[in-house]
Amino acid sequence: MLDIAFAKASLPESGALVLPLAEEDLGGALMGEWDRLLGGSLARGVAAAEFKGRKGQSTTLYAPGGGLSRLVLVGLGKRESLDAAAAEAAGGNAVAALGKEAVASVDARAIGGWAGAPADLALGAALRAWRFDRYRTTEKPEDKPRLTGIKVLCEDPQAAKGEWASRRAIADGVFLTRELVSEPANILNPPEFADRLRKLEKLGVEVEVFGQKDLEKLGFGSMLCVSQGSAQPPRMVVMRWNGTDSKKKDSQPIAFIGKGVTFDTGGISIKPAGGMEDMKWDMAGAGTVAGLMMALAGRKAKVDVVGLVGLVENMPSGTAVRPGDVVTSYSGQTIEVINTDAEGRLVLADVLSYCKKRFDPAFMVNLATLTGAIIVALGNEHAGLFSNDDGLAARLQAAGKSVGELAWRMPLGEAYDRAIKSDIADMKNVGGGRAGGSITAAQFLQRFVDGCPWAHLDIAGVAWGSKDQPTVPKGATAWGVRLLDRLVAEHHEGRSPVAVPAVEPEAAVSGVGSESPAMLAEGGASSDASIAAPEPVAPAPAPRPSTRRARR
Amino acid sequence: MLRLRLTELPRGRHPLAFPALPEEALPAAYAPLAAVARFGAAEGEVLRLDGALGRRTAWLVGGGAPRPLRMEVAGALAVEALSGDPEDREARPVRRAVIDARGLDPVAIGQLAMGAGMRGHRLPDLSTRPRRALRRLDLLVDDAAAAAPELARVEAVLRGVGLARDLAAEPANRLTPTSFAERLLGLRKHGVEVVVHGQDWLERHGYGALLAVGQGSARPPRLVVLRWPGSGGGAPVAFVGKGITFDTGGISIKPAKGMEAMKGDMAGAAACAGAILALALRRSPAPAVAVLAIAENATGAASYRPGDVLRTASGRTVEVVDTDAEGRLVLADALHHARGLGPSAIIDLATLTGSIVSALGHHRAGLFGNDDGLRDAAMAAGDAVGEPLWPMPIGAKHRSDLDSAIADLRHCLPVGGGGPGWVGKFLPDACQAAAFLREFAGGDTPWAHLDIAGMDLREEGVEGGAYPLPPGPSGFGVRLLDRLVADRFET
Repeated sequence: MLDIAFAKASLPESGALVLPLAEEDLGGALMGEWDRLLGGSLARGVAAAEFKGRKGQSTTLYAPGGGLSRLVLVGLGKRESLDAAAAEAAGGNAVAALGKEAVASVDARAIGGWAGAPADLALGAALRAWRFDRYRTTEKPEDKPRLTGIKVLCEDPQAAKGEWASRRAIADGVFLTRELVSEPANILNPPEFADRLRKLEKLGVEVEVFGQKDLEKLGFGSMLCVSQGSAQPPRMVVMRWNGTDSKKKDSQPIAFIGKGVTFDTGGISIKPAGGMEDMKWDMAGAGTVAGLMMALAGRKAKVDVVGLVGLVENMPSGTAVRPGDVVTSYSGQTIEVINTDAEGRLVLADVLSYCKKRFDPAFMVNLATLTGAIIVALGNEHAGLFSNDDGLAARLQAAGKSVGELAWRMPLGEAYDRAIKSDIADMKNVGGGRAGGSITAAQFLQRFVDGCPWAHLDIAGVAWGSKDQPTVPKGATAWGVRLLDRLVAEHHEGRSPVAVPAVEPEAAVSGVGSESPAMLAEGGASSDASIAAPEPVAPAPAPRPSTRRARR
Repeated sequence: MLRLRLTELPRGRHPLAFPALPEEALPAAYAPLAAVARFGAAEGEVLRLDGALGRRTAWLVGGGAPRPLRMEVAGALAVEALSGDPEDREARPVRRAVIDARGLDPVAIGQLAMGAGMRGHRLPDLSTRPRRALRRLDLLVDDAAAAAPELARVEAVLRGVGLARDLAAEPANRLTPTSFAERLLGLRKHGVEVVVHGQDWLERHGYGALLAVGQGSARPPRLVVLRWPGSGGGAPVAFVGKGITFDTGGISIKPAKGMEAMKGDMAGAAACAGAILALALRRSPAPAVAVLAIAENATGAASYRPGDVLRTASGRTVEVVDTDAEGRLVLADALHHARGLGPSAIIDLATLTGSIVSALGHHRAGLFGNDDGLRDAAMAAGDAVGEPLWPMPIGAKHRSDLDSAIADLRHCLPVGGGGPGWVGKFLPDACQAAAFLREFAGGDTPWAHLDIAGMDLREEGVEGGAYPLPPGPSGFGVRLLDRLVADRFET
């Protein structure tokens, strides 16, 4: 992860400076101060480059003076629409614009109005700067990204550092998910996946791993029929984070369940070759649950959570499950396997019923790269959201909206459920034909939740990105880690949600216009430090951060 | 069209159906026999009783637990039972029958009639076989005068639905763009103004998208405008319908399998016409217009091609990617035309995408739009009449996917063109189509787009709707539009 430090504003002696500016900031006091420090080059550059501060716009001025290698202007758009997401996007866009710089300072003072603004910007930068580099062995050092750290310039570095701790934990969780999702299937098989989850124990997460024999004993006939064609044994991993103060074991946890098919060939119903390499990320649901557990434990969330992942590999072979086979699930319900490529629901069926039976959770949310039909329905801006609980669905949608991970509610209903009637078993694993394919998949899952409030997120369209986004480089997105972290933070930690307050234009302008320019002028005039020395923030100890400060 | 009649006297010996509700005791004539047969009045439960009413055959039709549309389902099942086995050519056809609706209030009688009329409607039969379908249905009621206004309202809607179903069922050699437009002229006798714009007019006014889609066909396209003046004055509500009388796919030709169903690719336009007829027959006070874009998408030497750039009526240029995505092109010009009529709202209906069938199956149509109020009203209207919708998104990316390097926008993405890898094989075509249409519906008028593919047709062995209808067009949308107008535009 990028090194993140917070400091009062001062002109960096070298390296790059990033200046995020709203449209209204052009020609304002903040810009004026930097312009004076840089001997007028900023105003000239802004005019020459026609920088207007529009959202997503960025302009680089090279060698603008004062020892700086470059000055990057990042547009924030209209001040009234500034929020945490915009701050993150600015941080991400700044990283993208920094090119081969090794260190940079980012002036976050134009982004204000809520306490966590500098930390939000830092989070965006960190999220964008992530790269999965493990298997590039011949890339020349000069071709690699060099950015190692950023210094965020703000009014109150101490407060920003405090705000950063929880965001750092979230970023750690996101990175775990991205790494798991990026790993190829010859490396990340079910046993390896389970081993990596054991490392969460260092954060205080209880980790239980169930192997082939355990699952057989439990009667996971549905999940095991998927793995039976593979040389790799299956695993189910149960992760528990008890973050409430009471040590009571009888507290009703909330539960997150992930589909973890480490590679999905489709089995006997084998997939076409084109694009099959993407099936290494058919475990993104499980990867997301893992990252979420890491984030919650990392920020010591005051909540009792269980995370369950069903890990299998779906291969065609002489021992593979066949179309037409009938299996008995953990719940006792029998399933006729029509299509062995509809395997995710077979895995989730057993894990959902097991979770309900063992933990009786307040609700269950499962994530799965479940159907191509959800992409045909919604594309890759929205995940599909299915739920038997309107309140839970609304909370999930709201949490997603606030972190930029959108979910769109899709219907359930008896009429769709009838499509999975089987002539020989209690149900079949696909409906007839392609019609409503993601809905019939959700109906299948609903048969295993036993009345528990439940939501299913079909993330097939959002788990992997083909283009860089401001805070999400292309590849594994870790979609859902932040949404679910936010859901927990806003509704399940016994506190009222901290809403990002609407930016009051006057307040923001006066903040920038009065106090800071004075300070800047002072700092600029005398080179010796009348400005507080930049305070590098010590990285929070990864295993057990001492702070209880949980979230934004 | 099944003829419905209210009567207070149980004359004749025609078979009779009695809708039985589980919470009510059966009449004494039926109770002992029903008890022996363990008839529980569950939904779909049907019991034939010979001898309970002398020489008249009686059917007990279970209504099931109380719920909306219960009586409508019962009416439909009653007609199904009364009609006998359509495959049994030895049996004497039942041409007249009775439903015993005594003891029911006018609303319930209306619902029974609606279900009976929907189920009993006779689609065009071009065979030379003798007709066997039920022709007349008497509704036995306590007070015919009290039930008459409700029945008249129901019959108006049924005739609208019937028109839509008949038009959609017509084969494309009989229902060409020209004959479609001619048939719509028949609406004039109900007080509907009908204006037909032909090839010349379309060329003069630059309706380049509609013209391009129709240019491969030997029958030129038509833009038909139906206007029901209403009585309240004010801005009309506008319906816009896709009326592709046959869709071969054009140069991007469809696979042969199932192509015969493409005669029904004008179901959106048919539903709009049916809704206008219903409003006219029930003398709705609300002014309404329907703009129907009618063309045949044929494969020929003059067909438009992938890569062509069209200038639409709005002036915007469109790059053609797949000529089988023709519906959105003709709608683009029709939406532009509708905007010019100064409507209070625009609702378009189209059998637009296979994508919406993948998304929602055969139980809900896709609902897109730019106005929350209209969206909620359309959802409520659909739920009320058993034509349910589901709101679908138009995301920023759905629009940016339509960026074109040569024109203002392209109308769709190429098959499999959704980007690299596995994900790119799947296109959210319904959402992208809606994003395309939004460009032409404009932002200032409330607009809703109903993608009714998957709902327009009842197919053998495919479940859809609240109760079974014979295979063929369902008339989906007529009742919804009628209800939406009644709820929202008849103030």
